[in-house]
Amino acid sequence: MLAVFFRNLLRKKQTEQELDDELRAYLELTTAENVRCGMCPEHALQKARRDLGGIEQVKESVRDIRVGVWLEILVQDIRYALRSLRRNSGFTTVAILTLALGIGANTTIFSMVNGVLLKPLPYPNPDRLVTLWETHPAWGPFLTVAPANFYDWRQQSTSFSRMAALDPYPDFILTGRGEPRRLAGAAVTADFFPLLGVNMALGRSFRATEDHVVVLSYSIWESYFGARTAIVGTGVRLNDEEYTVVGVTPRDFSLVGKTSDFQARTRFDVWINLGLASPPEAWTRGTHPLSVFGRLKPGISLQQAQAELDGIARNLRRLYRDDNDAKGIAAIPMSEHAVSGVRTALLTLLAAVVMVLLIACANIANLLLTRAAARQKEMALRAALGASRKRLAQQLLTESAVLVLLGSGFGLALTLLSGPALIAHLPADLPRIAEISVDGRVLAFTTLITLATGIVFGLVPMLQSRVVQSRGVRLNARGISSGQSRLRGALIVGQVSLALVLLAGAGLMIKSLSALLQVSPGFQTTHILTARFSLPPRYANGYRFGTAQHRRISAFQRELAGRVRAIPGVRSAGFTSYLPLAGTNNNWSFFIEGRPPNPPGVYDSTDYRPVTAGYFETIGIPIKRGRSFEARDDEDHALVVVVNEAMARQFWPNENPVGKRLKFGDEHWRTIIGIVGDVHHQGLAIAPAPEMYIPWGQVPNVEVRPTIVVRSFIEPASLTSALRKAVAEVDPEVPMDQVATMGQLVSGSVSEARFRTAVISLFALLALFVASIGVYGVMSCLVSQRTREFGIRMAVGATRGAVFALILRQGAKLAAIGIAIGLVAAALFGRLIASLLYGVKPLDAATLAAVSILLAAVALFASYVPARRAANADPMDSLRYE
Amino acid sequence: MAESELLQGTLDLLILKSLALQPMHGMGISRRISQIANGAFDVKAGSLFPALHRMEQAGWLASEWGESETRRRSKFYRLTRTGRGRLQSESQRWERISLAMASALRAK
Repeated sequence: MLAVFFRNLLRKKQTEQELDDELRAYLELTTAENVRCGMCPEHALQKARRDLGGIEQVKESVRDIRVGVWLEILVQDIRYALRSLRRNSGFTTVAILTLALGIGANTTIFSMVNGVLLKPLPYPNPDRLVTLWETHPAWGPFLTVAPANFYDWRQQSTSFSRMAALDPYPDFILTGRGEPRRLAGAAVTADFFPLLGVNMALGRSFRATEDHVVVLSYSIWESYFGARTAIVGTGVRLNDEEYTVVGVTPRDFSLVGKTSDFQARTRFDVWINLGLASPPEAWTRGTHPLSVFGRLKPGISLQQAQAELDGIARNLRRLYRDDNDAKGIAAIPMSEHAVSGVRTALLTLLAAVVMVLLIACANIANLLLTRAAARQKEMALRAALGASRKRLAQQLLTESAVLVLLGSGFGLALTLLSGPALIAHLPADLPRIAEISVDGRVLAFTTLITLATGIVFGLVPMLQSRVVQSRGVRLNARGISSGQSRLRGALIVGQVSLALVLLAGAGLMIKSLSALLQVSPGFQTTHILTARFSLPPRYANGYRFGTAQHRRISAFQRELAGRVRAIPGVRSAGFTSYLPLAGTNNNWSFFIEGRPPNPPGVYDSTDYRPVTAGYFETIGIPIKRGRSFEARDDEDHALVVVVNEAMARQFWPNENPVGKRLKFGDEHWRTIIGIVGDVHHQGLAIAPAPEMYIPWGQVPNVEVRPTIVVRSFIEPASLTSALRKAVAEVDPEVPMDQVATMGQLVSGSVSEARFRTAVISLFALLALFVASIGVYGVMSCLVSQRTREFGIRMAVGATRGAVFALILRQGAKLAAIGIAIGLVAAALFGRLIASLLYGVKPLDAATLAAVSILLAAVALFASYVPARRAANADPMDSLRYE
Repeated sequence: MAESELLQGTLDLLILKSLALQPMHGMGISRRISQIANGAFDVKAGSLFPALHRMEQAGWLASEWGESETRRRSKFYRLTRTGRGRLQSESQRWERISLAMASALRAK
């Protein structure tokens, strides 16, 4: 039926031509006959035309008839298919459920892949958008950019129609509207919104020279400013300064990027002008806060732009050796950079879910074959009654098509229903989550896999109809042909090998995740609550580099720590500016006393953490040598530093650093008083980097975002409200957010690995289950087909044990072949996912052995049950069978 | 007899019958029907071709392209195995009906 449909579609033109030829031949023959009867040729043609009754009318009625017959046969076949599916409700339910799960899971995973990887970025002409980075051979390929460098890039390049920069650091405290709230701000150059092609929902973007103007995000405008359209032109107080609202971003605007590029920001609430309309001060070549975006001019390729940037970088290296030595510039498509960290993981999930579908398909193909064997008599009878082989095949194909369509319909429904729940469980730092939806492309994918599945199934009825033909009308046809049992064997082997690949993949990921979770982070993870504060500008007394102006901050910290320690259940408390695993970081350069000066452009630098006395003890970072910070290490006492072991190893490989001195750009010598243990700051999988700790009161810059770390005797999250109350008592205008237990932070830092491990494990279990049903189905079928043979064997003296062993051997053989093929495939798959693994090799022998044994055991058990049945059967019954 | 009076199914049977001996093109079938029915039926193209295509789709007839007596490319129809079976069963049914009708009409 489907074949006819497609033939009609594909050959419509040919059919038309043939019809035309046919009728013209008729006309000609009739004319010739008329001429023979003595008419003149002209009259003969006229009469023939009259008799024919108009070529077009005849054609029309032939077409009507063809479509009518086609529809009639289709309806007939569908009715027949539904009837026969209803009769076998068990088979139908299993098949449709399997398909719905397989197709639904595929659609879901593909909708993720589509939203995150495939959809064009949500901006006009997105393929022209690039992000620009500084590169350094030692520090990495994608480094954020110095303002002065950005200024030069923008001035000197001609490949870009626009270039804009974003500084993700500014935070604003919004007061006077109930509880104080921190707004995540971004400072962007005036080109930023025009570059992305953002049309403001209200008002406009700011101009290059405007100061103290702000663009609000749609959600903040809605939730904090009552969605008033009159907001544009009015003033808001941010950080005790007056800003004029000039615009509101559109509702669906979001900045696509890695949260790790934006200091753990996933969204921005307010946008202010970064300025940079005139050349920035020279020192800004040494600080690197900016993310840079560019829009390529029409006709300029990425390679051309890169070549130009290389030239600019060469020039800057020559001009500013101190800051730009060895530095390059990298341009990468914005769409690529944002998702570069998750591409492999998502594609792995897609591969896994396609494998699940294949296993499911094999199972249903097997079920269809089993049915085919059972229906052989029916088919033979119908063939004898004159049904053509083609018609029989068509009917069976229609049956498969109905199955597949029902399955994919339910599958799609499953995707649509489970969508919101899935999105809620996605790791929060997955880029472009908002763009995951079932769109035309997802539907096209579903259609495609439905068609592919239909074709896989379609093949089975075809083979089946060949069987019917080869058997002719032998009504006593019994047993399955050897070709068919080979096919079923192949299906089992395929299922087992795919299941092995999935199990191996899941095994590796589970092992990797557990290795990750077993990494000792270097600090205590239980009984710790953390929360971050944003101190209003009055705490900082204006930002100026190198001046110690933290007395008010220190006072706030001292008072808050005192109140927190008094809360029942609290053991200790301390502050840090950059909490491990929280996604924020800072890096400073320094100079060690007594060492020869570095050549220009070469720095010693390490990660840098302002902390207070009590921080190490609270978070559980051990003191390895020397002493910890004490209350006396403040503004008024000698400047001190604590380094971690990694820093001690790197910079004082054969010495004791305690007592040595170093300095920053502020030219004050600081004495190292102790060495602490290393922590995994950037992630459990990332090796600890050299770090130094400075007492908060002695840091040369001003840090206004302290994070409190509270160690408790009780469940830490239960302290949240008491902590909030304590803060309000100290200063009601200080907002507190990013509240999390250390356990949550650790868990959140592996959420992507956890998510993909959970999903692939689910798929692997599903695969194991479905494949074991497949093995069971085929073995039981085999047993029932050969019941008579076993009866004869036993009647002539074979023992039950021999029959039992015979079947088990058959199952074991198929499983062994499947496992062998699967191991090869698993090795290839392992190589593909190697970048996702931590602490385990892609060819982990233990994992491969374990999953092989598991799969072999399951396959043997699935054969054991039918083997038992065969061995326990009464030979006499077996012989009477049929 | 006018074509409109052909009973439902009669044309099919006549086509099957006309093809029983050899494959033929549309015009040949039309003439053959006219001949075997002693000119009683005149099958017009407007009925003949839809019927031929319908029967072909139903699998009773098969067709191939050949050359007509005027050396023009023509479509020749022939009976399939199914069509032959159909001819047999339909002929029997028709004979039964016509016998029954005849005896019914003769009844007093």
